[in-house]
Amino acid sequence: MRLAGREVSQRRVFVTIAVLLGLALVALLIYLLFFMGDTAEPVEPREVAGILPILSIEGPETGERPEFDRPLGAAFGPDGRIYVADTGNHRVCVFAADGAFLFEFGGHGVVKPAPQVEPTWQPGLMNSPVAVDVSSDGTVHVADFYNNQIQAFDAEGVFLRSFPDPLQRVGQGGSGQGGTGIAVTDVHAAGGRVYATDRYQVVVFEEDGTFVTQFGKPGVGSGDLDHPNGLFMTDEGTLYVADSNNNRVVAFDGDGQVRWAFGAFVSQLDKQEENPFGLPRDVTVTERGTLLVVDAFEFELVEVDTEGEVLGRYGRRGVAPGEFNFPNSIDTYGDLLLVADKENDRVQVLRLVRR
Amino acid sequence: MNRRIAVFIVAFALLGAASAVPALAYDELDPPTGKSCDECHGLDEGESGSGVNDVRPRKGPHGGYSTGTQKCQTCHTVHAAPLMSVILLPAATIRDTCNSCHDGTGGKGVYGVLESQGVTVTAAHRIEETDLVPGGSQAGTEETRTFSADGLLTCSDCHSPHDNNTVEPFTGDRIRESEAASFPADPPSMAVKTNRLLKQRPTSGTTDTPVYGSDWCGACHTGRLYGSAGVYNHPVETQTAGVHYDSILRVTGPNTSDVQTGTLGASNYGYVMPTSTPDPPGRRYPICQQCHEDARSVGNDPAQPQRISTLNGFDEEFTITAADGSVTSDNPRFQVFPHESGTSRFLVETTDSLCTNCHDN
Repeated sequence: MRLAGREVSQRRVFVTIAVLLGLALVALLIYLLFFMGDTAEPVEPREVAGILPILSIEGPETGERPEFDRPLGAAFGPDGRIYVADTGNHRVCVFAADGAFLFEFGGHGVVKPAPQVEPTWQPGLMNSPVAVDVSSDGTVHVADFYNNQIQAFDAEGVFLRSFPDPLQRVGQGGSGQGGTGIAVTDVHAAGGRVYATDRYQVVVFEEDGTFVTQFGKPGVGSGDLDHPNGLFMTDEGTLYVADSNNNRVVAFDGDGQVRWAFGAFVSQLDKQEENPFGLPRDVTVTERGTLLVVDAFEFELVEVDTEGEVLGRYGRRGVAPGEFNFPNSIDTYGDLLLVADKENDRVQVLRLVRR
Repeated sequence: MNRRIAVFIVAFALLGAASAVPALAYDELDPPTGKSCDECHGLDEGESGSGVNDVRPRKGPHGGYSTGTQKCQTCHTVHAAPLMSVILLPAATIRDTCNSCHDGTGGKGVYGVLESQGVTVTAAHRIEETDLVPGGSQAGTEETRTFSADGLLTCSDCHSPHDNNTVEPFTGDRIRESEAASFPADPPSMAVKTNRLLKQRPTSGTTDTPVYGSDWCGACHTGRLYGSAGVYNHPVETQTAGVHYDSILRVTGPNTSDVQTGTLGASNYGYVMPTSTPDPPGRRYPICQQCHEDARSVGNDPAQPQRISTLNGFDEEFTITAADGSVTSDNPRFQVFPHESGTSRFLVETTDSLCTNCHDN
């Protein structure tokens, strides 16, 4: 056989083609194994979908429980400290602004046990803390979800008080077990009051725990709520609520009157409609005055203005720094963001990279 | 020689084509092209599906799969799917997705409810921890099955969040908040029948079970069904005899041996089935759920251990006054069966009275 003017044997042609095919096969296998389906990202911190990762904390890295277990909440303290509601471990962990572990408080205690089971709660013990908030004076409020109460601590984790009484009916009623207390999913202190989300309502207390008012009821109408999981009260008196299962963010005034809502309940009749949110779980206000909504099902932070216009979407799904896996809560400290990245068992400090 | 080269080239081409199948079969969603998952997989309300991958629209967080957002990708990936992934599900995300709400913060608490009330979990369908099925083999021994979370059991092995090919609605033993008639004062209604999004064919099952009953459990626990080889099992009735969750033999009321055909749900009567009762055809035996259900107190009157009684201060009647096991005095107790239980092997009761509820003489 002649190729390019040279005489070559058929055997050599065959061997050459076989080697080339073999190399191609190996290259294909390498591509399939290492590039298709591999979600790993470079570990070097870099901007990811508009998110610049600053710090990632996966637990105290010491003691019997060195790692977080599904942390649902996190908040900055006035000095930049980081408080984490480590839900599965029934505790709050506190870190310095640089991520160094400082101390923890809490532990598992049950207020309302099943029949024939003794209550184990003592002041300071928790039963699935799902949210934490730190006031400007350093007071730490913890949403003690399954104990149907809020607990207040000082900045060093010393127990101050708990409210409402989880064994008493709250106002016109709450969603706590047995109809007493509240199934509190988020808490935020502002202006001398403490605001909390219950399953279908917002409940307001004085800082000392005195009940003030409640608003909201089950449903999809204006002012109705369905499993709200986040809220934020502004200095101007607007209360933003992440109305999770109604797929919207609602702005209330201090009396519970609806100012506006953005997003809509998904029904099987309007299934073709686009919705700005997949599952809004928390909301906060940035230093620019815009809203940042944590969307657990879209794995991103959605920035909207107070007229309901989407200004940007930040983040994507993943396990690398700056990526999210069912993010659940957000807080701000200047231009820093603190996100409870629940299913990555971590919290992240981030900055937005706006275009 | 030329034939051998041709064989090599053809084999190489086939290999390349096979590796490209996912890319050819699915539209890329990121960046969006305007074509949503719904265009291929969606069903309109009331429309019956012909394909196993059809998505039935539902409300709230269980709806909106067709919006063309990332919602489908929460559980399903297209090009980023790991090799050998059965239906393109990334690992360990089904539980995470469900837990976004079903940890109690967005809906009905499932796993963790018992611990929250200080109860030690003694039986559970352990999600994303196991692939071993007790009684999974025909011989009644433990068997390894291949489930959906990298082989491990996960939520979607029993439930279809898309309400696709699910069982007929039945009268459940649990109330969900979404079914509650009012809030917060009035007791919720038990009138709503739902299918609990239970698949007709749980993963690893070989046949469809259109109704929830013994056959549904037997899809996995094959060797626990009556007549399985190598082991004696308590006889149970099957859908072949027309016996299922909404159609079992039960006493008609407290302090009686009279029986009738009725639902197992929303009543404790289904857990009392005196063997002294004449056998109606096809109704001789219980179904699995007449012994394995949410823990409750049934027939503990020492004077009449085989019967539900409201006498002598032993009020064993079915009492659910609120959704999701939120009232500690309710009977049954937790409303989380068959996810977790405080009783061994998910038995309704663990004392002798479980047997004497039926074997009364």
